[in-house]
Amino acid sequence: MSFDNYTFLLILRVALIVILYLVILQVVFVSRRDMRRAAKMPVAATQAKPVVGHLVVIDSGSTALVPGSRLDIEPITTIGRAPTNGIVLDSTFVSTEHTRILFKERSLWVEDMGSRNGTLVDQKPVTGAVAVSPGSVLQVGDVRFKFAV
Amino acid sequence: MFDLRRYGIDRRHYRWTELFLLVLPALFLIIALLTLLVVQSSGGLVSTTKVSLPKLDAFVPAFGLIAALLGAHFALNIIAPDADQTILPIAGTLSSIGVIMALRIGPDLGQPTLGNKQLVFVILGLVCCVGTVKLTQDLRWLRNFKYTWAVVGIVLVGITLAHAHSFSSNAPGRDVLTFGSGGLSFQPSEILKICLVIFFAGYLSENREMLAMASYRIGFLKLPPLKHLGPLVAMLGLALVIFLGIHELGLAILIFGLFLSMLYVASNRPVYIVVALLLFGIGALIAYQHIPYAKSRVDIVHTAFQTGNPDQPATDVSKNAGYQIVQGLVAFGRGGVFGEGLGLGAPCIVPECNSDYVASSFGEEFGFAGLLALLGLFMLLVYRGMHIAVNNRDTFKQLMVIGLTAVFALQTVVILAGNLKIMPLTGIPLPFVAYGGSSLLANFIIIGLLIRLSQSKA
Repeated sequence: MSFDNYTFLLILRVALIVILYLVILQVVFVSRRDMRRAAKMPVAATQAKPVVGHLVVIDSGSTALVPGSRLDIEPITTIGRAPTNGIVLDSTFVSTEHTRILFKERSLWVEDMGSRNGTLVDQKPVTGAVAVSPGSVLQVGDVRFKFAV
Repeated sequence: MFDLRRYGIDRRHYRWTELFLLVLPALFLIIALLTLLVVQSSGGLVSTTKVSLPKLDAFVPAFGLIAALLGAHFALNIIAPDADQTILPIAGTLSSIGVIMALRIGPDLGQPTLGNKQLVFVILGLVCCVGTVKLTQDLRWLRNFKYTWAVVGIVLVGITLAHAHSFSSNAPGRDVLTFGSGGLSFQPSEILKICLVIFFAGYLSENREMLAMASYRIGFLKLPPLKHLGPLVAMLGLALVIFLGIHELGLAILIFGLFLSMLYVASNRPVYIVVALLLFGIGALIAYQHIPYAKSRVDIVHTAFQTGNPDQPATDVSKNAGYQIVQGLVAFGRGGVFGEGLGLGAPCIVPECNSDYVASSFGEEFGFAGLLALLGLFMLLVYRGMHIAVNNRDTFKQLMVIGLTAVFALQTVVILAGNLKIMPLTGIPLPFVAYGGSSLLANFIIIGLLIRLSQSKA
């Protein structure tokens, strides 16, 4: 084997390995771009609708929610199993339209929407509308939240 | 002028990222082809059999694969324009490595057309992939027939069991069903994996509340109602039957691992993992003590250097049991950090250098740097899978993506650990890289499902 061929093969060998790493690098770049886009999108969405408070997940029950995550409360927020709700809880203990949170007279109000398992605020079943303040615990089916500002 | 709109493609929604990413595997194929031709012209491949590579035929696998990948890319533009754009390039790069390895190893094995055969499998796989994306536009039929999928899986195991006599204990995982004489064979266990993932996903997404809830306790263990545990225990039994009946240790580990990862994600209860691993440990201990097959599998790993004699080829496995493992390690070692260079090694001193030991062939010629890149590619595939799962809202789809991704992860870990003498060697093929038709087809069907599930409106 001549020297020229050897050098040529060495270059090709390096090129092959470099290409494999370039694939990895490129995919990492694309993933990072995806993440940045995903991070920007909720900001744009929340600017359109005012947020009047947050629900912090304490116990995710049988849903895929992560305990400790914060969910936005809009002036009218519906909670239930149907995908049409503002907060969707994919659990069989939650009715299709379970609970409604309203913002009236500078306070948040919780209403039960005729759910099968009922809505509890600070462990008491909700009948009619109940005013809540930050720190109150809301239980919908097997999921528990705490109200936060 | 080429008008994209005629095919229903909007220029703004064209999958540019995917197209740009596909440039790299195409470059890889061309440079690898060039390397092989240069090696050939300067004295031939260093081979044990000295069958030279036919020059013109060598162009077919490389350029054929580029064309096939572009074809799949255009098809996806029409069927699923908004789906994930990184999965096809990753799978494409991995299968380019596979085709190049088959092309390079072929002459050493006395089969100069091995690369072309692998290309045919990859093309069939890409067709299956695009077909899967097309057929699963509505995923409900997968979910609604979940027990049908379980039955299909059990029938597949039955077929494998019925053909168990064609297995030899030293070469697990060979193709068992042969159609025709063209050398095209089909291995039911590959399709079994997909059926099981769909069944697990359907079953777990419906029963996750019950499984996450504890209804009675035994000692410190809280368990869900027995009724809901039944199908899960049955699946563990299936893994056991596969292990005892057809001596497929790798497939049994794969099903067990798949089941554990999906159960953990669905229930979010580590206690299941602990209990299942305890049961597995007890079972493994009993199997090791009472089943000669299991004992020999494990013993080979830690006595490889005593039983493997590199000077004498493995004609009789019982006399030279560690031969394959020792030769594999030698090949990895010869590769060093940057490898010997494509076409300049002698990978086929290891038995099964194109299938079970393709990682050692790759490691010898591309070195540690190449192997690390290969692992990185598999990691990215898994990462993209997790990304898709997190962005999905539906429990069934999330679980399905987790399961399908786990199939890739587990296969890679099981075979690489086997090759590196970390755990017992099994006949699990390295996804996309190992030579073999049914494994490629199944893996590309999984890729098709992942692409479909990555769509926001799927």
